[in-house]
Amino acid sequence: MYKAVIIGGSAGSFQVITRILNSLPANFPLPLLLCLHRLKHVRSGFVEALSIKSSIPVIEPYDKDQIKPGKAYLAPANYHMFIELGNRIALSTEGPLNHSRPSIDLSFITAAQVYREKLIGIILSGANKDGAYGLKKINDFGGVTIVQDPNECQVKTMTESSLQLTKVDHIYSTNEIIRYLQKIKI
Amino acid sequence: MLRYEIGIVETRNVIKAILDMYGYDFRDYALTSFKRRLEDTITAYGLKDADGLISRIQNNKGFLDHFLKDINPETTEMFRDPSLWRSLREEILPDIVRSTSKPKIWVGALDSGEELYSLCIVLKEIDLLDKFNIYSSYISEETVKKIKGGKIEPKQHEANDANYQRSNGVKRYSDYFPQGIGTVMSTFNVDLIDGVTFVKQDSVFSNPPSSLKLVLFRNQIIYFNQILQDKVLNKIQDALVPGGYLVLGVKESLENTNANNKFTVTNDAEKIYKKKTG
Repeated sequence: MYKAVIIGGSAGSFQVITRILNSLPANFPLPLLLCLHRLKHVRSGFVEALSIKSSIPVIEPYDKDQIKPGKAYLAPANYHMFIELGNRIALSTEGPLNHSRPSIDLSFITAAQVYREKLIGIILSGANKDGAYGLKKINDFGGVTIVQDPNECQVKTMTESSLQLTKVDHIYSTNEIIRYLQKIKI
Repeated sequence: MLRYEIGIVETRNVIKAILDMYGYDFRDYALTSFKRRLEDTITAYGLKDADGLISRIQNNKGFLDHFLKDINPETTEMFRDPSLWRSLREEILPDIVRSTSKPKIWVGALDSGEELYSLCIVLKEIDLLDKFNIYSSYISEETVKKIKGGKIEPKQHEANDANYQRSNGVKRYSDYFPQGIGTVMSTFNVDLIDGVTFVKQDSVFSNPPSSLKLVLFRNQIIYFNQILQDKVLNKIQDALVPGGYLVLGVKESLENTNANNKFTVTNDAEKIYKKKTG
């Protein structure tokens, strides 16, 4: 029933995302699209750090890579990561949005346009409003919207901006996000 | 963030109008980013919708040049991927000049001059600027004017400077701005690009220079679909001499293309390829 899960996060999201990755089985039925703010001049190390205890392979995709279930695609440093029709990754070097490249809004908007109601969007801890508009677009297309409980976030700005813009489907703790994802059947 | 959003049918209508009227072919551009650029253009010029854009393109010939400029994203960063520039500085450029007299370099990707400025700075610093013939692409007259004028916005300096230092530049970044850098628009030392030949391109790069020893084509094929990627890479392959180098963006790979068997990998991390000699 669903086609992809997309997750956006910034400051304070690293531990959350590793806990999610480490808790999902290798045969997780959907692709995971990860757009996390990162230092633009540090190209290596992030994928490796996310991969340590993850059963799901974490990949920094090349342009036009096919998106497959059971893999996590991390937006590369200093590129925007778009989702292209035909279920492929398309990268872009257009200017930063919300001071961010990769921008969570752009990944979320393009994923919403491709997957429409078959997309699950999750916003985690973060220090700016990037992602709030993208989550709204997922909601507009009928997808599922989830925001990490701001009380649990190291930095609340991103989740609170998302909650201001969208009446989301779920406000979940990290454990609840994990349980939700573990129950997904397609 | 209020922006106009257009659908796929409307996007195709715009593409058809430009093709019919001016011959510029965007049919095989990657759809998501092209659509986004159209939305930006419609919003920036207050054109209301896709029909507004089409009618502006059809009724105002001068507008086409603005369109061609806006449709190509500006990367606005000098020395992007400093480790590539270290490799060019320390290995590739000295190696090329040892084997060929007046080798040709083509700065192929369309940007607002950052790649060309970076190249000329490196060549100047290793004392090889007059040893190469440099060609640079452009599609919009407005852009080539901007590149020749050397104007750089204050907000760009921080990233440029940090990249320059990481690229093992031997001077100070600000040394390349004769009037200095500060909070107002500053001017790059365009004497460095005096010898550069600017070559007009269409949207599918039909006109590359020939007998090239090095092609910098970073972060351009990401804006194409796979059909156009193959076509353009084939043209580049033809334009390179055997043993000539092709540099793509770090997240562009020949592996997803038909050109893969025509090149060997010189540096996988920096996506430096060498055309096979056989």
